[in-house]
Amino acid sequence: MFEHVLSVIIFLPILAGLLLLVTPASRTIARVSGLIISLATLVLSLDLYANFSATGHLEFVEYIPWIQSLGVSYHLGIDGISLFILMAGSVLLPMVYLVFTTKEKGYYANLLIVQGAMAGAVCAADMILFYVFWEVMLLPVFFMLGLYGGPKRLPATLKITLYTIAGSLLMLAAIVYLGVSYHAQFNEWNFAISKMAQLNLTGRVAAVAFFGFMIAFAIKIPLFPFHTWLPDAYTEAPTATTFVLSAIMAKIGVYGVIRFVVPVFDEQFARFAILLAYSGVIGMMYCGLAAIAQKDFKRMLAFSSASHMGIIALGVFCMNMQALTGTIYQIVAHATSTGVLFLFAGILEDRTNTRTIDDLGGIAAKAPVFALFFAIAMLASVGLPGTSGFIGEFMIILGAIKFNTVIGVLAGTSLIIGVCYMLWMFQRVFFEKSNANSENFKDLSLVEGLTFLPVIILIIVMGIYPQPFLSKITPSVALQFSQNPPVIAQTVTTNALLPELTIEQK
Amino acid sequence: MGQSVNYLGLIPLFPLLGSVLIGLIHVFAGKKFRISEKFYGILACVGPVLSFILALKTFVALKALAPESRFLCHKAFTWFSVGELHIDMGFLADPLSCLMLLFVTFIGSLIHIYSIGYMGGDKNYGKFFSYMNLFLGAMLVLVLGDSPVVMFVGWEGVGLCSYLLISFYSEDRSNVLAGNKAFIVNRIGDLGFVLGMAFLFWGIGASGFDFLSLKAHSGNLTPAIALTVCLLLFVGATGKSAQIPLYVWLPDAMAGPTPVSALIHAATMVTAGVYMVARFSFIYANVELAGNIIAWVGILTALLAAIFGMFQDDIKKVLAYSTVSQLGYMFAGVGVAAYSAGIFHVFTHAFFKALLFLGAGSVIYALHHQQNIWKMGGLKSKMPKTYFTMVIGALALSGCPPFSGFFSKDEILYSALATGHYGIWMVGVLVAGMTAYYTFRMIFVVFHGTPRDQHAFDHAKESPAVMTVPLIILAVGALFAGFLNLPAIFGGSQMVTHWLAPSLTEHHPHASLFIEIIAIGASVAAFVIGIKIAYTKFGQGAPAPEFKGFAEFAYHKFYVDELYHAIIVQPYKAIGSIIWKTLEPNVTDSPVKAASKLYMAIGTAFKVFQVGYVRIYAIYMIVGLSLMSLFLSQSLN
Repeated sequence: MFEHVLSVIIFLPILAGLLLLVTPASRTIARVSGLIISLATLVLSLDLYANFSATGHLEFVEYIPWIQSLGVSYHLGIDGISLFILMAGSVLLPMVYLVFTTKEKGYYANLLIVQGAMAGAVCAADMILFYVFWEVMLLPVFFMLGLYGGPKRLPATLKITLYTIAGSLLMLAAIVYLGVSYHAQFNEWNFAISKMAQLNLTGRVAAVAFFGFMIAFAIKIPLFPFHTWLPDAYTEAPTATTFVLSAIMAKIGVYGVIRFVVPVFDEQFARFAILLAYSGVIGMMYCGLAAIAQKDFKRMLAFSSASHMGIIALGVFCMNMQALTGTIYQIVAHATSTGVLFLFAGILEDRTNTRTIDDLGGIAAKAPVFALFFAIAMLASVGLPGTSGFIGEFMIILGAIKFNTVIGVLAGTSLIIGVCYMLWMFQRVFFEKSNANSENFKDLSLVEGLTFLPVIILIIVMGIYPQPFLSKITPSVALQFSQNPPVIAQTVTTNALLPELTIEQK
Repeated sequence: MGQSVNYLGLIPLFPLLGSVLIGLIHVFAGKKFRISEKFYGILACVGPVLSFILALKTFVALKALAPESRFLCHKAFTWFSVGELHIDMGFLADPLSCLMLLFVTFIGSLIHIYSIGYMGGDKNYGKFFSYMNLFLGAMLVLVLGDSPVVMFVGWEGVGLCSYLLISFYSEDRSNVLAGNKAFIVNRIGDLGFVLGMAFLFWGIGASGFDFLSLKAHSGNLTPAIALTVCLLLFVGATGKSAQIPLYVWLPDAMAGPTPVSALIHAATMVTAGVYMVARFSFIYANVELAGNIIAWVGILTALLAAIFGMFQDDIKKVLAYSTVSQLGYMFAGVGVAAYSAGIFHVFTHAFFKALLFLGAGSVIYALHHQQNIWKMGGLKSKMPKTYFTMVIGALALSGCPPFSGFFSKDEILYSALATGHYGIWMVGVLVAGMTAYYTFRMIFVVFHGTPRDQHAFDHAKESPAVMTVPLIILAVGALFAGFLNLPAIFGGSQMVTHWLAPSLTEHHPHASLFIEIIAIGASVAAFVIGIKIAYTKFGQGAPAPEFKGFAEFAYHKFYVDELYHAIIVQPYKAIGSIIWKTLEPNVTDSPVKAASKLYMAIGTAFKVFQVGYVRIYAIYMIVGLSLMSLFLSQSLN
C-alpha cells in the first residue's frame, strides 16, 4: 500500500474526467475509459479496505500545508465512518458504466468527476478542503441533470441549484465563523476538522452557525422539510445521476452531520437533537406516505429514498452508539439496495419505455432473474432480516427507543410504511398479467446479471454476517462518543409523555 | 449454560440450502434442461427429512441429560456486536424448542411428500418447492433462535414465505392482494415485536440478550416496562398467530396452494406466536394483567372465528376459521399461565389440522379445484381413505375423547377453570360446541348425502398413494398424540408437561378432582350437542342454505374486512395522496417557490435602473463617487 492512495482515489477519476472533456474522445472511448478508471479505483479501494486497521483514528493520513497564513492544509485521512461511504462509491459506480450505454461523452466525464469529488469530500480532514470538494461534487450534478435529464429537467435543475447554493453559502459562512472563532480562542489560524472540537461555542452566533451547517447538510440528506427538490430531481435526472445522488451523495450529507456538527457544536446539537429527530421521523413518514400515491415508479423510489434517509439521519440524532453505528451501516445498506433499485428502474424504463406503474405487469414470469434480483434489493430496502437492511434499521430503532420513546415508536412505523408501497408496486409491475408493454420484456443479459450479482450477494452477506463490517466501524464510533462526554450527558432526554418508560442511563 | 453441539445449526440450514439450490436450478436451468418434477420433489424432501433426523438426535441428546440441565446450544458466529449490544447467531435446543422441532420437521416433511403429488403438472414446480423449503427453514430458525433477534429472523422469514406462497398463482390479482395483506398485517405485528425487543433490551440492561441471560436477569425489569414488553410482544403474536385484531390475513391466505395452507396452519407460522409467549414465560408469568389480556383476546378470537366458521361455504375457509379459533384456545391457555397446555394444543393441533387441510386438498384435487362445499356431497364412497382420515381429524378438532384434540383442549379449559377464570372457561365450552358443529357440518356436507354436482362426482377418484399415505400417518398422530400427555385422572403421567417443565415458568394449579370432572363433563357435553345439531341439519344431505339476517352478517365476517378497508386502508391512501397532491406543492414547497418569486421580483425591481444610456450610468458613477468621498471624509474626521 503506497503513501498517497487517497489522493489517487480522488484525483484519478477527476483528471480522467477533465481529460475526456477537453479531448475529442468518442462516446465509446469515454465509456470504456470510465469503466477502467472506476474499476481501478475499486481495486485501490478494496486494497485500502483490506489494509484499514480500524484503530478508530484517521488512517492513511496525507498532510501538505496549503495556505499556511490561514492554517489551511491539504489534509486527507479516513476512519471507520468515512471508509464505508468511500467504499460504497467505489463498489457501486463501476456498475453504471457496465449497464447503461446510450449516453454522451460529457455524461461519463461528469460521472468521473463527481466520483472523485465525492471521495474527496469524504476523505477531507480540513474544512476548507471539504468545502472545495463539496462544491466540485455538486457542479457535475447540475450539468448531468440539466443537459441529459428528462423532459421536465429545467425546473428540476433550477430547484436543486437554488437549494444547494443556499446550503453551500450557509456552510461557507459557518466554516469561516469556526475559523475565526478558533483564531479568537487559540490565537492561531486553523481549519482542521479535528481541532474544532476544542472550540467552546456558546451564544446566539454559535446557534446560527450550527443551523448554517445543519441546513446545508439537511438539504443534501434531505431532511424534512428541505426535501422538495428531491422528487423532481431524482425523477428527471438520468438513471446514473439519480443513482449517484441517492446512493452516495445523500450519505455525504449525513456524514457531514456526524463529522462537523456533532463534535463541534456538541452543546447546540444536544439542545436541538430532539427537534432534528422529529424532523427525521416526520420526514420518513411523510415521504413514505407520499410514495404510495405515486404513479411513476422512479418517483416512488425517490420518495422511498427520502423516507429512508429520514431514518438514517435519525440514527445520528439519537446520540447513542447503537443508533450511530446503525446509521453508518444503513448508509451502505441503503446505497446497495436503493441504489440498485434505481438502476433496475432505469432498466425497466429502457426496456418498456414507460415509468407508469399501472402500465406494467407480469414481469416476474417473463424475466425471473431480473425479478429475483429486484425482489432481493426490495426486501433489503424494507429491512427484512437476513438482508443488509435489517441490521442498521434495527439498531437505529433500538437506539431511538433509548433516546425517546415517542421517537422510537414513530421510527418503528417505517417497518410498515416501507412494505406498503413496495409491495403495492411489486404487485403491479412484477405480478399479475403481462400486457403490451411487458409482453416482450427481456431478462437480464449475462453481462448485466454478472454486474449486479456481486451487489446482490453483498446485500445478503451484509445481512447474515455483518460483524466483519461492523468491527471496522465501531472503534471510530466509540471514539466519537468518548471524545464528547458532555453530549451524552446532556442527552438524557426525559420523556415528558411517558415518564415511566424512560430508559434509565446505565 | 448448556452443552454445545454443532449439529443444531444444521437443522435450519438443510432446508435453507435446499431452497437456494432448488431456486437456482429452477431459475437458471429449469427451462433449458427440462428438469423432471421427480428430481425437484426428491431434492425438496431431502432437507426436511434430514432436519427431522437431526431433531430426533437432539431429542435423544436432551433426554440423556438431567431435566434441569436440558440445554443444548450452538453459537455459529457473532452476528453483530455494538457497544453493549451483542447478538450471536446462536441456536438453543431445550425441551420447548425440541418439541416444536420434532413436530415441525415431521409434519413439514409429510407435507413436502404430499406436495409432490398435489403440485404435479404445475409450471412453477421448482419455485414452489424452493419457497416451501425456505418456509420450513425460516420456521426452524424461529424455533431454534437463542435470542429474540435470531428468533425475529425466522419470524419475518415465515412472513415473507407466506407472502410468496399465498401469491404463488400471481397472475390473479386477488391472490397477490391476499399475499400483500398477509405480509403487511404481519409487519404490523412485527413492529410490536421489534419495539418489544427494544424495551426489553434497555429495560433488562446490558447483560446478554439471549434467552438464558434474559431469564436470569428478568428481575431487572420495572413493572411498567415489563407490562409494555409483554403487550408489545403480544402485538407481534396477534399478527403472526392471527388473533383479534390482526386475524384478517389468515382466511385470505387460502389463496395459496393447499399444501401451503397446511404448512401455514399446522406446522409453521401461526404457531409462532404461542411459541413466543411460552418462550417468554419467564416474563409473562409475572405480569398478570398481560396474561388476562392475552387470555381474553384469545378466547374472544376463538368465539368470533367459530361464529364465522359456522357460515362459510368454502371448505378451506371453514378450516381456516377453525385454525383461528383453535389458536384462540392456545392463547387462552398461555394467557392463564398454563403454558404447557397451550404448547400441547399447538402440538396436537399440528397433526389434526395438517390432516384436515391435506384431506381437503385431496378432495379439491379430486374435484378439479372445486372448493365450494355446496358443490360436493356423497364423496364417502368415492374417496374412502380421505373420508376415513378426515373424520379422525374432525373428531380430534371437535374434541371427542379419546382423540388428541380432546386432551389438549380439555387441559386448557381445565386450567382456566382451576385458576378461577370462569368467564374464559364458559366461552371456551361454548366454542367447543360450535367447533363440533361446524366441523361436522363440513364433513356431512362433503362426504354424506347425495352428490350435488353429478358431473364432478363421476370424475372424482381417490388420490394417489403419495398423498394418502401422509394422510394416514397424520391420522395416526391425530388419534394418539393426546396420550402423550394423559392427565392423572385417566391414569396418565402428563409426559409432555413434565418434559416442558424446565423451559417454562409456570405454576400448576392444584385443583380438586371435582373441578376436573366438571371440566371434562362440560367439554364432552358440548361436543355431543354440537355434533347432534350438525347431524340433524346436514346428516342426510341438505341443499345450499340461503344466508339471511345474522347468518348473512356472519357469512360476510361481520364486514370486518370492509371496516378495516374503510377506516385504515382508505385513509392511508388518502393521506398519501393529500401529501402528494396538496401538501407538497402548496405548503412544503411554498418557501422555495416564494424564494424564487422574491428573487424574480427583486430582479425586476432593479431592472428599472438598467436603462441602457451611457449618460445615465455616468450619473450613477458620479453620485456614487460623491457619496463615497463624503463618507470617507466624514470617517477620517
